[in-house]
Amino acid sequence: MADRQIKLGDTFTAQEVVDRYRTVYYAGASGDFNPIHIDPEFGKLVGLGGVILHGLCTLGFVAKSVTDWSGDPGALKRLKCRFAAPVHLEDTVTTEAKVSKVEGSKAQLDIRVTNQDGVEVLTMTQADISL
Amino acid sequence: MSVDARFIGKTYGPLVYEVGKEKLKEYARAIKNEDPHYLDDEFAKGSKYGGLIAPPTFAVVYAGMLAEPFFLDPELNLNMAMIVHGEQEFEFLQVVRPGDTITSEGVIADIRNKEKLDAVTLEGTSRNQKGEVVCKSRFTFVIRKG
Repeated sequence: MADRQIKLGDTFTAQEVVDRYRTVYYAGASGDFNPIHIDPEFGKLVGLGGVILHGLCTLGFVAKSVTDWSGDPGALKRLKCRFAAPVHLEDTVTTEAKVSKVEGSKAQLDIRVTNQDGVEVLTMTQADISL
Repeated sequence: MSVDARFIGKTYGPLVYEVGKEKLKEYARAIKNEDPHYLDDEFAKGSKYGGLIAPPTFAVVYAGMLAEPFFLDPELNLNMAMIVHGEQEFEFLQVVRPGDTITSEGVIADIRNKEKLDAVTLEGTSRNQKGEVVCKSRFTFVIRKG
């Protein structure tokens, strides 16, 4: 990717559908077995209307969109977000990123992450890459 | 009851995690990431890394381990029923590879008491077996006051 040119204002989008068993896979892989993610009865009891996706899984989707775009997972240097709204099973998570700063081979991305109703599930999402 | 700000500076760990190849693959598949850098040995051998690497956010596994002693800290006494993950930040400094031994240390970097909630930030520093920092992480948890 040595000759990859990133320009201010470049954009990309990506989408992931949260299948019904995603939280089970993620719990096993991450070790986060909080019942709000795997037990629908518990999720209802605490007012979430069922299980919700791990926030860090949503952030994992965002990281994937960035590294797919850059072509080099090692180019991702910083990633941050605020968890603003829960993601439920069978939701569609859309990532829309825009290059907001370029300095030599480094770039900053401002990222909007929404569900199928346009609700921002993550806010203040930013990534820095260095190619 | 508020989380006492005198716990700013309290440390957790060091906790040691040995990175396994199949665990990396399991994690990559769980976040629906089929990038061959994580999954395909042959591809990875020919990549600039010369072998498989971990997805950057695999840090949730080795650095996320710090959350357990923090959550269960009897002195801090967090109300687990009211806690949510508020914010997350990762700084990735080196790629992580299968066979790496990652040692993570955590410190309570900030406690903010507000009217309806407390926000507590746990900062982690993770180093590989060569002593290189691979990741700095900031987990901010919000505890709603009942």
